[in-house]
Amino acid sequence: MGVKITRGSFARPGTSLQFDTGSWRVQRPDHLHAAAPCHSACPAGEDAQAWLALVEEERFREAWENLITANPLPAITGRVCHHPCETACNRGGYDEAIAIHHVERFLGDMALQEGWAYPQVQVPDTAPEIAVVGSGPAGCSAAYHLAQRGYRVQLFEALPVAGGLLRSAIPPYRLPSKVVENELDRLLANGIRFMPGQRLGRDFSLEELQASFSAVFLGVGTQRSREWSIDGATPRDLHVGLSLLKEWMDVGVIPCWSSVAIVGAGNTAIDLARVLKLAGVPEVHIISHKAIPGPGVPAQDAMPAILREIEQGLEEGVTIHEHRGVQRLILRGEQVVGLELVHMKKLADANGRLKRVAFEGTESMLHVEQVIPAIGQVVDPDGIRALLGQRSYFRVDDWGQFPDQPKLFSGGDARGDRGTVSEAVGDGRRAALAIDHMLREEAGEVPENKTTPIPLEQLNLNYYEPAPRPEVQLLDVAKRSGFDEIESGLTHKQATGEGQRCFSCGNCLACDNCWTLCPDVAVLKTQDVAADGSHYVFDYGYCKGCGLCARECPSGYIVMRDEV
Amino acid sequence: MTQEVNIPLTDLRRSQPRFSGFEAGHRACLGCGEALAARLVTESAGPDVMYANATGCLEVFTTAWPDSAWRVPWMHSLFANAAAIGAGMEAAMKAQGKSTRVIAMGGDGGTFDIGFQALSGMLERGHNVLYVCFDNEAYMNTGIQRSSSTPHAAATTTSPAGRESMGKRHMKKDIVSIVAAHHIPYAATASVAYPSDIHKKVRRALAIDGPTFLHIHTPCPLGWGHDGALTIEIARLAVQTGLFPVIELERGGVAGAMPIRKLRPVTDYLGLQSRFRHLFADSSRAKEELEHLQALADHNIELYGLRGEEKIDALDSEGADTVRRGGMRWA
Repeated sequence: MGVKITRGSFARPGTSLQFDTGSWRVQRPDHLHAAAPCHSACPAGEDAQAWLALVEEERFREAWENLITANPLPAITGRVCHHPCETACNRGGYDEAIAIHHVERFLGDMALQEGWAYPQVQVPDTAPEIAVVGSGPAGCSAAYHLAQRGYRVQLFEALPVAGGLLRSAIPPYRLPSKVVENELDRLLANGIRFMPGQRLGRDFSLEELQASFSAVFLGVGTQRSREWSIDGATPRDLHVGLSLLKEWMDVGVIPCWSSVAIVGAGNTAIDLARVLKLAGVPEVHIISHKAIPGPGVPAQDAMPAILREIEQGLEEGVTIHEHRGVQRLILRGEQVVGLELVHMKKLADANGRLKRVAFEGTESMLHVEQVIPAIGQVVDPDGIRALLGQRSYFRVDDWGQFPDQPKLFSGGDARGDRGTVSEAVGDGRRAALAIDHMLREEAGEVPENKTTPIPLEQLNLNYYEPAPRPEVQLLDVAKRSGFDEIESGLTHKQATGEGQRCFSCGNCLACDNCWTLCPDVAVLKTQDVAADGSHYVFDYGYCKGCGLCARECPSGYIVMRDEV
Repeated sequence: MTQEVNIPLTDLRRSQPRFSGFEAGHRACLGCGEALAARLVTESAGPDVMYANATGCLEVFTTAWPDSAWRVPWMHSLFANAAAIGAGMEAAMKAQGKSTRVIAMGGDGGTFDIGFQALSGMLERGHNVLYVCFDNEAYMNTGIQRSSSTPHAAATTTSPAGRESMGKRHMKKDIVSIVAAHHIPYAATASVAYPSDIHKKVRRALAIDGPTFLHIHTPCPLGWGHDGALTIEIARLAVQTGLFPVIELERGGVAGAMPIRKLRPVTDYLGLQSRFRHLFADSSRAKEELEHLQALADHNIELYGLRGEEKIDALDSEGADTVRRGGMRWA
């Protein structure tokens, strides 16, 4: 046949690969695992984005194992946490935040049900020994994290059982005692020497601990109620919020007045109000200097109690008097018959300092049979008077370390700027990290991932679909006894659904967007997870640096960097 | 962060879980919509296909001598005759009793204008060829001259905006209707912002015996005046404003349209491109032209019933490419 194809008229397949279009580039795409807002916001240091990804794939055990690297008590925190992660969740700016605390509880409950154990750590007899005083959430978390890092731990507790305020201050309708028991049993079985009935200042002294242990963590909480009176007057039979709550949790009965006013705005005030209401007190009032949290209420003016508990309390018939203070106790003899209330607000004075102002002419009278202060607790100075000085709380740094006492740490409520279980768990973890760092005599700062959360604007929302947040069953108000748990857990399907709803902020979703949309075939898919945690690699030999992959990455995992 | 992989990139490139008919190393500009669309077409068509490619950007940037970015049989035609060459290839395959499919490709210039006669002939003779038009709405290869596909009011070097002109005076040619009027079994439009849709339509067209036509909207960062990173964003907005309806026509009748869940005003689309910059001047003529373009979008929305339902449709303009963890979602 007469057709001759000359060399100039054809090219061999795929030979463009010998041309290095990467040399055109002035910017290069790079994978950057930015922190998800839930991670940055978690007081306990959990990376919810990471374990939600595993939940979506129904790898529940791995999800739980990821979770407990930060928080050993998910069945507890999943119930009581005020979940700042959900407030921070980017999905909240799109439709509804991921129900992170519900999934946390789901994993915690599943772990208890399946009997999953913490990772086993071999602790040699020669390992340094640490004393932890107090077995509330801070102490338990510190003990757990120290044991996990290969230290011998002795955990001292004044009471016969572990748990601290988990057992004495959080009512069972929020946190069933069985859950506390199971979580703590597992924790204590994990290489920790538990010493019940050992009270600081009675059975041992701080000096003795410091002499015989490599480091000491004081998770002693706040055991003493603040002094309370109105111009020196108190009711004859003064009950204090937290001890009343404790009493009810121990013996199950509470005095039944006809009307009660509780002074305070924190969780104890709400818990006590609800317990009284559920026990049959017809009229329960909360007198709060602050407002019920809601849109338009600035954080510093919002009641510190958990909104969910406030809402459920209102549902049950508790009355909350916002921005109100008690000006006078109305006494007949020494018997309280009422309170004089006045409108109050914190306002800035001439120096810009916030000061509580009572507005004249707004006084009113509230008839009550009893008034109960729930205005907070301070550290019990027994045995640690010298350490505490004149202060109500310990003064320690971010890591819980006391100034000038390199081997002494504290955390949780005892440091005064905390107030939640999750913060206490986080304090315990950070102190354990710092103790580990100190005992290894490592140089420099304690390593911790300080994380800036990735904002919603850096995600590409075109690739997500609206989907509603799941709702959990609540016990009917009429059926609430105070002892049965009010909220139920998520179903299996709801939990994996939350994993699917998660935006995966700042982390690779393995969605194939970059791989599919690269016009230059410069993104290659890997079979296994790549070393940087993604599922793709950039072939910089061909990448021209157009930035399309970064723009279209739904989770903001790709950034463009200038070429040097 | 350094990336480390266990196997060399060249090996990894060879073992990608998709058909690679179109390789890296081509000379397209940064963020080229046409390069992406061409790759999407080849990977959905698979290996047993041969291509006829009209002169234009795609031909130029994929075959800088002596290299070729193609891994499939590919032939360069004149500007005017890709459809005729494709028809010839198809006839040759038929004569040899082979089942290899033929795809003819051209830009909007090679399809709407210069190759229109050959295209019409191929359709009329009923060749078993899929013709794909990569529409970047002007002669980009030769320096951004207007074509009959350039949208109304867009500025090009031959329809400049200025004191006497608001860009192109004429309307964009409705090529898909004209093609469908040949009474062919399948003609469709698609957008590079919706890769799953492109995959689906290429496969659907290739499954049909007879002439088929796919018109893909592909932004050109250089000609349209936008950052290469915005290519997908702009293509998506063209769909979501109604300016580029994504439709399917079978035997001339409308068989389907991608509904728009959240309608966007045309200014969202126009404002990102410098070829429409003059429309945002503070003048009555500019305002009138903006209204005109909105009316053109509204006309499309009404004509093809593009307004989506309130409820979520998994295949509408918002849902079509929702991400899933683990990938492989691109149909």
